[in-house]
Amino acid sequence: MTIAPARPTNAGHQALGGPGMPAGRTGPGAYPWAIAAAISLAVCGAALSLNGVLRGWNWYWAAMTTVLVVGFTLAALRSVRAQPLLVTAGGFVALVGVLTLTFFRSSSFLWVVPTGATLPDLDRLIQRASETVLAETAPVAPNTGIVMVVCAVLGLAVILVDALAVPLGMPAASGTGLLALLVVPAMIKPQSVGVWSFVGTAAGYLLILACSQWFAPDGRLQGGSARSPGLMRRAVLTGAVALAATLVLPLAIPGFDSGTFPQGSRLNPWGASTGLNPMITLGNSLRTPDGSGRITYATNSPAPLYLRSVTVDNFDGDSWGPDDRPGSRVPLDGRIDPGYPVLTDEQVRLVTAIDAGSFTSPYLPVPYAPETVNGLGGQWTWDPATLSIKGTDTTTRRQEYLVTSAVPKLSAALLAQSSGPVRGIPDLFTRIPGNVPDIVRSTAQTVAGGAGTPYQKALAIQKYLRSSEFTYSLQSPVQGGYDGNGLSVLADFLQQKSGYCIHYASAMAVMARLEGIPSRIAVGYAPGRLTGATVTVAGQGTLPEYEADARDAHAWPELYFQGLGWVPFEPTPSRGVVPDYATETSAPSVAESLGNNDGLIPDTAPVPSTTPSATAQAVPGSGGGSAGDGAQPMPWLLGTAGALGLALLAAAPHLVRAGTRSRRLHPKRPDLAVPLAWSELRDLGTDYGLPPGDSETPRAYAARFRSALLGEPDGMDQDAHGAVASLTSAFEHHRYGRPGGGGFRVGGLHPRQVHGSAPGQGSGPVHADPAVQDIPAGIATVEASLRANAPLARRWAASWLPPSVTRRLGLLIGAPFRAAGRAIRQKGRAGARFGPRRPTSEGRATAGASRASVQPAAGGPFTPAPDDGGGRAGGR
Amino acid sequence: MEPHRRIADNGSAPNLNLAGVADSVSQLNGHRPAAMDSDAFHAAAQRILTTVNTVIDGKSDAAKLALTVLLAQGHLLVEDVPGVGKTLLAKTLARTIDCTVNRIQFTPDLLPSDVTGVSIYNQASRLFEFRPGAVFANIVIGDEINRASAKTQSALLECMEEHQVTVDGTSYKLDEPFMVVATQNPIEMEGTYPLPEAQRDRFMARISMGYPDKDAEIEMLETHQAVSPLANVSPVVTAADVAGMIATVQQVYVSGPVKEYTVSLGRATRESPLLRLGASPRSLLQLLRAAKATAALDGRDFVLPDDVGDVAEAVLAHRIILDRKAAGAGETPHSVLHGILSRLPVPQAAPGHPTPAAAAAGSRNR
Repeated sequence: MTIAPARPTNAGHQALGGPGMPAGRTGPGAYPWAIAAAISLAVCGAALSLNGVLRGWNWYWAAMTTVLVVGFTLAALRSVRAQPLLVTAGGFVALVGVLTLTFFRSSSFLWVVPTGATLPDLDRLIQRASETVLAETAPVAPNTGIVMVVCAVLGLAVILVDALAVPLGMPAASGTGLLALLVVPAMIKPQSVGVWSFVGTAAGYLLILACSQWFAPDGRLQGGSARSPGLMRRAVLTGAVALAATLVLPLAIPGFDSGTFPQGSRLNPWGASTGLNPMITLGNSLRTPDGSGRITYATNSPAPLYLRSVTVDNFDGDSWGPDDRPGSRVPLDGRIDPGYPVLTDEQVRLVTAIDAGSFTSPYLPVPYAPETVNGLGGQWTWDPATLSIKGTDTTTRRQEYLVTSAVPKLSAALLAQSSGPVRGIPDLFTRIPGNVPDIVRSTAQTVAGGAGTPYQKALAIQKYLRSSEFTYSLQSPVQGGYDGNGLSVLADFLQQKSGYCIHYASAMAVMARLEGIPSRIAVGYAPGRLTGATVTVAGQGTLPEYEADARDAHAWPELYFQGLGWVPFEPTPSRGVVPDYATETSAPSVAESLGNNDGLIPDTAPVPSTTPSATAQAVPGSGGGSAGDGAQPMPWLLGTAGALGLALLAAAPHLVRAGTRSRRLHPKRPDLAVPLAWSELRDLGTDYGLPPGDSETPRAYAARFRSALLGEPDGMDQDAHGAVASLTSAFEHHRYGRPGGGGFRVGGLHPRQVHGSAPGQGSGPVHADPAVQDIPAGIATVEASLRANAPLARRWAASWLPPSVTRRLGLLIGAPFRAAGRAIRQKGRAGARFGPRRPTSEGRATAGASRASVQPAAGGPFTPAPDDGGGRAGGR
Repeated sequence: MEPHRRIADNGSAPNLNLAGVADSVSQLNGHRPAAMDSDAFHAAAQRILTTVNTVIDGKSDAAKLALTVLLAQGHLLVEDVPGVGKTLLAKTLARTIDCTVNRIQFTPDLLPSDVTGVSIYNQASRLFEFRPGAVFANIVIGDEINRASAKTQSALLECMEEHQVTVDGTSYKLDEPFMVVATQNPIEMEGTYPLPEAQRDRFMARISMGYPDKDAEIEMLETHQAVSPLANVSPVVTAADVAGMIATVQQVYVSGPVKEYTVSLGRATRESPLLRLGASPRSLLQLLRAAKATAALDGRDFVLPDDVGDVAEAVLAHRIILDRKAAGAGETPHSVLHGILSRLPVPQAAPGHPTPAAAAAGSRNR
């Protein structure tokens, strides 16, 4: 008896769920296939946009296969009238099967059934994918791991979209699944989603909607609104307008197409300074508008000092990164040995005191070639092959250390003499990577093929890269889609002839190897700026202090010359300082002015002239010029977009309100015109601070409305009063009148005042049978009158923050909490009902109720138990 | 016994007093009166109210409620202190209608037979003849009803509820329309017999006249000095007109939401912690009938929740019994009903989401 009240709600649920059950019951026909095709089209369309996140198109066939297999498995299951849950489960099975077939064929049973051996494979692929996600920027190489993840996500998207559109009966909501797919390229890619992908997705989405509407598997849809003849035309028109608007809008509004959002790669939470792969983070570091990771250093080097933290020497693979070679690293406790013979006697010893400050990286920035490092905390190791120093359990953050380094005193003449074959360095630095793009080969041949000695070749390459053909730009690689590194990026760079240090450095390094010169890329910091402060270093006296930050991040090539060691070059225009030995001998003035020694460390005389000018040029050039060109509009665009977004957000209540009103005033079914207009009147009242009460009848509310919000009934607001009165009367007719409106009437047709009539029908003409078609005009009159009578603040709030919308929003937000509260109360009541004492009182209530129906007075005191299930059940 | 019955069967064979009335009534009893059309209804109602208002100044609400009760085929209990025009209201309403009016002054020694009628032995015909009591009239004014003994009061019961009188096992139909307007004085309770609940429940509405306002009182002093205002009152509608009006009221449409509202009002009174006894189903029926009459008087052929709310206090206040604590706290039936009405949600069907009742009505309509 006690659970009796619960039963109807259960039954109601089932009844509600009934019509939403699969279309299968009534014969599915072509519907499952049509909707599967629509979903597949939408998801495949969305997947098109991933080109550019993944490089190339090879991955697309796997993705498409997955989508089609999953989509049509769902359709097939549905067409044999399987249970909706079974259909979705079948989708998952199909997804697993097709993924196994595509990626784990070797370790599977019958190619599609995953076995125990599949798991390690899966683990490996996921590992790989996560590495890709962490370490690479778009476009990433389509390795098996990332492709598998993409396929799995697309398959899940198909299942999600399908579940939303078919069993849940919310085809419109299925757009969220598609949107989730589109968000990734929109955030990452410079070209955003792309037209074709957008068109494909939109077409698929519209088809999903169309299928849902046309086949209407949901009984509610069919019963609720009969399909009107103009529906198709209207739908097509609306779709076309929306599509056109979305395509035209980005053209009209700046900031959507010019690579503003692609900067979203900066959202990368692995940020600029963790240094997982310095090659990757370098571009982002350079693009940071404010310098972070500031390093200060003081050195006795008279020449601009490059700080090097890591080298890249393996040019194979799609993405380059430093090779830590953990096996061969040596703990940093003594002297660092460069490991190759330096024949020249003139070694210059430098002392540099570095404060890493907030720069955080496992790699220690030091001037090349370090000999001793003092003052470090934690465990550090160095790599004999590259001399890069890396912390094993610590980072550079807050490290202050003193480095002594030694470089041979180099000169053009010395380098020119070093033409002997290279010996004694690992094969690693000379290996020419496979699949070098033709353009790289041909360019190298063209540029350096005619030169005789390695030094001349290097100079030729550097001269080529520093020529006016190439422009320095941080933005164009992003926009061109070749931001990053790797051989294919290199090919793009040589075509576009625009990029930043990483591109120049890798171009020179690869071309040098092609020409037989061992090479590697050093990553670190270009020379910084003088801070004006001085630092006292023991044994060196006071030294000028320099600072470098993320904007000075830099990459440069190092080429190996037999007998001289690794020699840095500077192919990047407008960045860093070209070493004297690397300047053109054909520029005699420079060569002459620098004197004969031509060393990396010039004599004291030229230094003042070189250093300030170089740094002065370099810094504004990098910070103001090149970055400025690309980045200057950026804040503006972002600002515009932000302002637009804010404006949209601020206007949202107004827009929602306006939409609601236009829907109400132009209803699809004429018989709903009056109640909708009444709702509009109530909302107008709410907006102007007079919300209707629950216990208020339409008439009472209209009376209150007229007396509180409108002016004198005989004055200017006469029309508004008339409109409210006639609308009220029409609504009463609609709501409480004889259905159909015809038949018998008592004075219903004639406006009339009966003496002492009900309150609210005070004055003003009351048309009991109003012209319904005048409703929009009437509402407009009422609103004008409301505005005229309301104070400014109220008017403003009614327009821009209408309480009718905000209240509804509040209700919506509060709904889960209220439901939870109700559930808790019900649970409490249920608990009390099954309590030990309750049955007796319930019996009493039952007896009382049954007696009460015979003789009310005998029922005894009626307990105030509004929803007492026991009492009600007993009464039945 | 046989002769009694025979004569009683000829009961419509009238005695002298009722001769004329019986003729007019028999015309009505023959067929169901046709519903009056809207214009005629309105005109008739307007005439009645205007006439009543000329006699009783400043009591248009009470007059309208009295007419409402008449048209809803109910009975009216007018309760107030002496001298505010209770009897005048009843008499005026009766005079405006061209129908039979009887007045019964209830006294402690009044007997039931004085009300219902009695069989007397006719020596000439040597048969028992039924002599109808005062209740045989279209409008019966029971003055000071609480002064009569309980058994006399209960003699009215059957008449009021069933519109018939049973004497010596024979039932006599009463005339249509039939309305009892009883007055009672709540102040002077000594030697009175307060109406029991069961009898109170038979009155459709209880109204209090209340004192007139200042202007109305001045005007009353002016106009009523010389001659009784009743003297100038002449009937403005016939009994047949009233029957037609009643038929019109019966055809007023009640929509699902209004029924829902009425029932939830009744349930709210039963569930209210302030009340010991809520509204009975019969009282809800009467409430709806009164609401229909209100709607018709307002010129509508359908009932609004407003109509229900307007008459709810008059119809329900004398039927509900306050809880002892609530009474101690100063609540009155009127205040409790007012509170319930102000909290009771009006069924609001958002467009597109009709209430089950409305949806059912709509589908039937289609």
